[in-house]
Amino acid sequence: MTEQQLMALLPFMVLAAASIVIILLIAFRQGHTVIQVTGFLLMCLVIFAMWYVRGVLPQTIAPLLIVDGFGALFTGLIVFCVLVVGLFSYIYFEEREENPREYYILIFLSTLGAAILTISRHFMSFFIGLELLSISLYALIAYLRTRNNAIEAGIKYLVLAALTSAFLLFGMALIYMETGSMDFAVIAQRLNAAGKSSALFLTGFGVMMVAVGFKLALVPFHLWAADVYQGAPSPVASFIATVSKVGVFAVFLRFCQELHLQNNSAVMMLISAVAILSMISGNILALRQQNLKRLLAYSSIAHFGYLLVAFLPGNNTGVEAAVFYLTAYAITILAAFGIIILLSPGEKDADSLSMYRGLFWDKPFMAIVLTVALLSLAGIPLTAGFIGKFYVLTAGVEQRAWLPVIVLVITSVIGLYYYLRIISTIFADSPVTIQKERSLNQFFYTASYAALVVLTLLLFGIGVMPAVIIQGIKQFLVIDR
Amino acid sequence: MPIQYYIAFAATLFCIGVVGVLTRRNAIIVFMCIELMLNAVNLLLVAFSKMHHAAALAGGGKNVTTGVEGQLFVFFIMVVAAAEVSVGLAIIVMMYRNVHSVDVNFLNRLKN
Repeated sequence: MTEQQLMALLPFMVLAAASIVIILLIAFRQGHTVIQVTGFLLMCLVIFAMWYVRGVLPQTIAPLLIVDGFGALFTGLIVFCVLVVGLFSYIYFEEREENPREYYILIFLSTLGAAILTISRHFMSFFIGLELLSISLYALIAYLRTRNNAIEAGIKYLVLAALTSAFLLFGMALIYMETGSMDFAVIAQRLNAAGKSSALFLTGFGVMMVAVGFKLALVPFHLWAADVYQGAPSPVASFIATVSKVGVFAVFLRFCQELHLQNNSAVMMLISAVAILSMISGNILALRQQNLKRLLAYSSIAHFGYLLVAFLPGNNTGVEAAVFYLTAYAITILAAFGIIILLSPGEKDADSLSMYRGLFWDKPFMAIVLTVALLSLAGIPLTAGFIGKFYVLTAGVEQRAWLPVIVLVITSVIGLYYYLRIISTIFADSPVTIQKERSLNQFFYTASYAALVVLTLLLFGIGVMPAVIIQGIKQFLVIDR
Repeated sequence: MPIQYYIAFAATLFCIGVVGVLTRRNAIIVFMCIELMLNAVNLLLVAFSKMHHAAALAGGGKNVTTGVEGQLFVFFIMVVAAAEVSVGLAIIVMMYRNVHSVDVNFLNRLKN
């Protein structure tokens, strides 16, 4: 391994070191505040390291990893999400008086898993990254272990994730038999040499799609999403909605790009069928939902259906659209979950829609942030969600994927109904006051409010001036080639 | 022995595992079935590894390392499966403390 390759891996080493540092801090009996602040600084260090090594990219660390602009972009997005989730976690766990210190170890480990996914170019690193991500997530979901809901969500996620990762391995084994290699690039070479794709490869890919579909909560593997979002602690739910999905989507995108699967009509048919089903059923299931966390779960199913429409073209526009959409979606969902976390009273989470009745008259700031987030999810102009959806539509139309595009437009209209229903609840009169039992150090409230303000400004900023972000994404993706 | 026998055997084991996960109600047995599926994949990988290796030898190479990654992968899968089970059993113990049962039918409280 050369010096430059080590340099390129620096951000990931810092990320791996972060969980060890936290373990040491716990061994020396440091408090929650110290761990929280150290974790925040370490994540900032990862972003700094990423910026520091940008000159040596792209680097291939054969045969497992490749650190290029694509990986750096997704890792940056993941670390940004973790920064925000970590900030919100302090208040959430401090109010519940649970001992939250090991929580940060698990969060950083699963972030490392997601980051490895974004830079993997081999089945082995794909599998290791995925399992690092999901094994930490099992423990995170069941973290509040005295709550029945958390345990139930943990077991459901555990059984299904273990089941689907066995499917993933089965698919990998079949592709390995067909091509004799686990390296994405070599697989692509052998498949090209063979001419047309064989039935064995298609079977293997289909079986692998079970695991990818599960992680991204695509129909028909979406049944866990609502239960896990509802049962998991809110910061963990926001972590699943952002970090885990971004990581898995990144590796899926890289796999399909490397193998040029957009030229394979059978695979494209499969993916567009999944996209259409996800858009339709996600939006329809969300229609009559009275629980905000479940509603966000169903809306995330629909959103990843939209994202697959951007994915279908498989060309550069598609990749840009997908990255842009993911960024906008991550910011939006973090803002929405931030409000849920800040409003949650001690015992349970603020997930019932009735708790939000008249929120505007009680806490206008939070109501406005939540409204902006919901408008962005619905794709109303001037918010990031609109530009994201527009970009996705453009990519779909360019490729003449008419059916998915039409379904996207129709289901977006259906989606508008339930987002607006929540907004009308927020602005209804006769407010319900949510009482907080105890208040903490003012500093962390200020920090969380500041984070919410930044997220909201980003939503508007991207919505009004998308060109800045798009330029940035393009520059990063150029490092690839 | 032809490769088809290995594939048929591994696929059968895998299907038994899937059926077990879907039908059994005891969380521990569900776990055993998942292990069965993982081991079916291990068997498959080792068989394919041997197949590719034999093909490379027959192609006229000496000291070829073709196919070694299949067997390497098996070690990773075993390690990960052990980690998965240890976390899983811890969660099952927590479930037993809360509801005094490991029957997955008790897990039906999360709904709208």
